[in-house]
Amino acid sequence: MTRIPITGIGVIAPGAIGVDAFSKILDSGKTAASAIDRFDTTPLRAHTAALVRDFAPKDFIAPMKLRRMNNLSRFGVAAARLAMTDRGGPLSSAAGVAMGTAFGPVQTSVDYLQQYVERGAALAPPQLFAESVANAPGSHAGIEFGLRGFNITVTQRESSALAALMYACSQIAKGMVPAAVVGGVEEVNEIVFGVLDRVGSLAHANGTIDECARPFDRRRNGMLVGEGGAAVIAEASAGRSAYAFASGFGIARDVTATISDWGEGSDAVVGAMRAAIEDADLSLHNIDAVYASANATARADRLEWRAIQSLFTDVPPVVATKGYFGEYAAGGSLQLIAAILAMRDQMLHASTGFAEKDPEMRFTPTREPLKRELRHVLVNSISAGGGIVCAVLSREAA
Amino acid sequence: MRKPDPDIRIAITGAGILCSIGRNKDEVWNAIVESRAGIRKLTRFPGETFPTDLAGEVDEPALSVPRRDAKRLSRSDRLAIVAAGEAIAQANGVPLDRAIVSTGTSTGGLLEGEDFYFTRLLRGRRRAPASRVLQQPTSGPSDAVARAFNLGGGVVSNATACASAGAAIGMAADYLRARHVDAAVAGGTDALCRLTYSGFNVLQAVDSNPCSPFAAERKGITLGEGAAYLVLERWDDAVARGAKILAELCGYGATCDAHHPTAPHEEGRGAEAAMRGALCDGRTSAESIDYINAHGTGTLLNDSSETRAIMAAVGTEVPVSSSKSYFGHTLGASGAVEAVITVLALTHQIAPPTLRLESPAADCPLDYIPHTPRPMRMQHALSNTFGFGGSNVSLLFRRA
Repeated sequence: MTRIPITGIGVIAPGAIGVDAFSKILDSGKTAASAIDRFDTTPLRAHTAALVRDFAPKDFIAPMKLRRMNNLSRFGVAAARLAMTDRGGPLSSAAGVAMGTAFGPVQTSVDYLQQYVERGAALAPPQLFAESVANAPGSHAGIEFGLRGFNITVTQRESSALAALMYACSQIAKGMVPAAVVGGVEEVNEIVFGVLDRVGSLAHANGTIDECARPFDRRRNGMLVGEGGAAVIAEASAGRSAYAFASGFGIARDVTATISDWGEGSDAVVGAMRAAIEDADLSLHNIDAVYASANATARADRLEWRAIQSLFTDVPPVVATKGYFGEYAAGGSLQLIAAILAMRDQMLHASTGFAEKDPEMRFTPTREPLKRELRHVLVNSISAGGGIVCAVLSREAA
Repeated sequence: MRKPDPDIRIAITGAGILCSIGRNKDEVWNAIVESRAGIRKLTRFPGETFPTDLAGEVDEPALSVPRRDAKRLSRSDRLAIVAAGEAIAQANGVPLDRAIVSTGTSTGGLLEGEDFYFTRLLRGRRRAPASRVLQQPTSGPSDAVARAFNLGGGVVSNATACASAGAAIGMAADYLRARHVDAAVAGGTDALCRLTYSGFNVLQAVDSNPCSPFAAERKGITLGEGAAYLVLERWDDAVARGAKILAELCGYGATCDAHHPTAPHEEGRGAEAAMRGALCDGRTSAESIDYINAHGTGTLLNDSSETRAIMAAVGTEVPVSSSKSYFGHTLGASGAVEAVITVLALTHQIAPPTLRLESPAADCPLDYIPHTPRPMRMQHALSNTFGFGGSNVSLLFRRA
């Protein structure tokens, strides 16, 4: 059995640039949500998002290159640079890149079509077209750091980043690359936010409660959306101490899910969790905590808690992190990084936003930071449409 | 974690394809052997003023999908369901509950998203139909195929520009080798849309005539659309259940030029490495390669750099052709569409030609099989697919 060390972390997150700042946000227990001032939310029910506000891309990317990048590419390249710095130096040119994004370059497509309408189909800016592909951030990272291994972009909604990690680790284990930059990018824009609001996916005030994402809470009524970029460095061997090790993956699909919503098939989630644990050559009792996918939507959270309490007779501590930085944040990679930091610190985070347990739940998500010996942590990612990816992180190399 | 086991062989037990020259394998192969292209005047976007007006469009009746959710499916979704359906039907008996869907797509439902954007830009946001933008995500086709056929092994979407489908097929093969899944429906889909049609034109990458890959007079691509899927299983599993094996997917190589956001490396650095990677993964020598289905877009730079890469990785004697001369560049689907054609070539022992290759370019000195199909013995074939950002994937197939 192989375990893949995670040796570097780079974060451009809502309220935090860099892994230390991100760790402080998590330790604070406070959400990074704030009122949206980027576009007008007056006609909408939701008015908050977890936005990246303090990011200065010129701190990470040369001006001439910046002009050729959209926001997603800037997030991706900056996060990759931070991760390599955190690792202690650049990677071999044989390294690969695997990025994840849920919605990708929607805003760039809109910007291109705006020019298309104004100037005509033959005169829209080619630079915008070049950035309208979802793999532009990964490509820029490959170019910027001279990485010539595989370069792929996974777009599996909420599971994108964990699916990217699964692929990257498989290629490292297979011996195709010595290392990989693995991460995700996302931006909050008016189009996606407006549509998610219109279909009732977003947390909103309803007279008795204020607007707040409440994962696993009986009063939950929708998600917070987040943005940013994040990357980890996965390697065949750790030149220095690793944050944690990716030790197992499981993948499945809930066949009861519709194309754009979560289903009721908790058995499929159980199957993916069990597969990840078996892939790590572990047993259920080895799992010390679960970093849940819970995003505070009614169906997704119910699906996951039913699966967790079906799989575990004695449910280990469960942490819901999306109250901090929202769903989709950095393509889903912030949840993964939160779990990695928990292993580093041997400290579980509080489930921000959670207060009142749903009566059906047999476990209580963490209310406060919890010091704990964490040898193996399960990370879940369950996407609308039925996709499920689970991973096990381990503290030791073997 | 289990690593992909190189000793596990991957069998192809089903294939489906849909593009401008046919609605299924038989129609596509008949067009191939008759040297009949499917590039015509673009009809999809009347009134738009593009500098060029040709495309490889799929006829509308071929998109009939009598399934639940039909109104919520994008054109790319429907293309995918048709092609995947053909592949799954051929692989009769494949364990669908443990099958993953791995789809490559560059645009996903962007065609439908454009309806939303144009309405919003021209008529105001209150009139823009949110349902259209919900069809846009590039995860849509994989989700749609998975739901249409109740596939329970997982779902993953790969949006690596024009290398998407090749990457999706390679990923699925490795997940089979690592025993994460017991079968895979792996391929790609992309529908023509205004943004890409305009975009390649503003990049001045489109030929005003039907594309002529590797020709001296080549000026660029012709845009197309389509979908294709392969059903993959572990060889021993396929044999055990008595499945008919069409060919073997021996391995793949995936690399990045790390050179330019849209242009390939002039020397074909990444493409060469991808082909070498496929040979290494498939434990096959360069001398064993009998045919290469090239990426062969028809752009000046791709065809010359790919030729250099082939010469460096495989040699100067191997026959090469570009199927894009039949149906154009199907973008994110191209890796799957051309993989299916490569499998058909191995099955029929006929190498597809490159159409309209009147006079090969000076920088393209290989044997490109001009005009007509060539019956020949083929044991191993490579299928190349490259994308924006310098992503390259090469798939290695062996005759069953």
